Amino acid sequence: MCLAIPSKIVKIENTMAVIDVEGVQRQASLLLLEDAAVGDYVIVHAGYAINKLDETAAAESLALLREAFSASEQNP
Amino acid sequence: MTRTINISPITRIEGHASIAIQLDDDGNVADAKVHFQSIRGFEKFVEGKPAEELPRIVNRICGICPWHHHLASIKAVDQCFGVTPTLTGNKLRELVQTIAQAEDKLLHFFFLAAADFVIGPDADYAVRNVIGIAKANPDLAKKVVQMRFKAKMMLEKFAGKSIHPVAGVTGGFSKPMAEEERQWMLSDMRELLDFALFTIEFAKTEVFPKYLDTIKTLGVINTGFIGTVDADGALNLFEGRLRLMKSDGTHTDFDVQDYTDYISEKVVPWSYGKFPYAKFWNEGFSLDLDHPKGIYRSNTLARINVADKMATPRAQAEFEEFRDLFGRPAQATLLYHYARLIEEVYACEHAIDILEDPEITSPDVRAKAEPGAGRGVGSVEAPRGTLIHDYSTDENGLITRANMIVGTTHNLGPINMSVDQAARGMIKNGVVDEGILNKIEMAVRAYDP
Repeated sequence: MCLAIPSKIVKIENTMAVIDVEGVQRQASLLLLEDAAVGDYVIVHAGYAINKLDETAAAESLALLREAFSASEQNP
Repeated sequence: MTRTINISPITRIEGHASIAIQLDDDGNVADAKVHFQSIRGFEKFVEGKPAEELPRIVNRICGICPWHHHLASIKAVDQCFGVTPTLTGNKLRELVQTIAQAEDKLLHFFFLAAADFVIGPDADYAVRNVIGIAKANPDLAKKVVQMRFKAKMMLEKFAGKSIHPVAGVTGGFSKPMAEEERQWMLSDMRELLDFALFTIEFAKTEVFPKYLDTIKTLGVINTGFIGTVDADGALNLFEGRLRLMKSDGTHTDFDVQDYTDYISEKVVPWSYGKFPYAKFWNEGFSLDLDHPKGIYRSNTLARINVADKMATPRAQAEFEEFRDLFGRPAQATLLYHYARLIEEVYACEHAIDILEDPEITSPDVRAKAEPGAGRGVGSVEAPRGTLIHDYSTDENGLITRANMIVGTTHNLGPINMSVDQAARGMIKNGVVDEGILNKIEMAVRAYDP
């Protein structure tokens, strides 16, 4: 299942961003989202940020994912 | 001494997969497995929720192809509530799904797959990516970004944010299409079709011929296939009957509502994922490379194999050329890329056909729906394969049971087999290098998991 986890951009250098998901950081290419800025939330697929989403949408998605993960732990 | 080689995370595959290859005392492959992360119990999580909310929930979780989850889910809810969408509502759904397909394929071919071919599988990873392509061919790279943006903006301007779609609603679509919208979308879609035709020509002349040996050998396995066809046997990405084909080319068609008579899911001790297999063949489940049992594949190559023809002329011409070259069913795993580009041409042509249909601007986009008890099975051909949402609801329209089969899960078994095949073929006497490991990744990448 391809999980869509909103990741926050914390740093940008040229076309590469450092993204943060709940404290875990990794790199993503911004080649497909040239207007992305630090503080934006993005969905990352295969190392590319493919879509931007606003803070409200990101918060809603993260809340749903947390709920789904906790249901998953209760029902292995 | 035995050793394990881990490739993790797979660099340009979706970030939740890893490969583990076990070598025996002589340094030859004893076992190779691909592990995918997934949410267990997702179906439990949606129980008790109002069914009409599911089309907006599922696409927030499985967000790489949100439109496809959104629409498979809506189809299932329609059936639970006993409502048939209006003709135009259904066409609008099909239009956005088709555009989403076109967008996804461009992204995959140029950004995730082409680097291996354009730059070469043995090149250093630092240059073997789209930035390498951008340096080698800056005009092409710019055009790809523009085209993908155009497709994304079509969806966003007409139907709302492509990442979290809300445009589809129970009984149809949330808004009609204005004539003005139809006109600019037609113009954009024609431009995308030109680019799709350029892309397949580029691939056939500049890319694939250089790697024919790799294509003929890497990750090649012998399996059956699944995909959706219309009443004439032509490929259909949005609706129709499912066709399950054996490796000998014989096939059976069935309605998705009966999928549990044809497909079952196998739990294996070494993975959290469930492995779908063809229960209908009555041969059990085995990933044995020489004698696989119950194994079929989904996604682009599968759809091109099960279809008798394509419903649009340019795609049909490409389809005939492909079939003449590779036969039916074609088994070489890297042909997924070629099949993907044929589907890209079809998706663009078909979107134009839908936009040219006078019914598309009818204001009658939504049938009245009331929550109620029932069962519904909705499916679409998502970029990664046949996507099935199966729900039951109570009299208040709340979900009492849900099951989903996501496109990539059909391919979990075959991906494992392709990796096993690639690893066994290339790793001998403990000799492994970056080029070999990358080729093993390529076998996975072809499935676009």
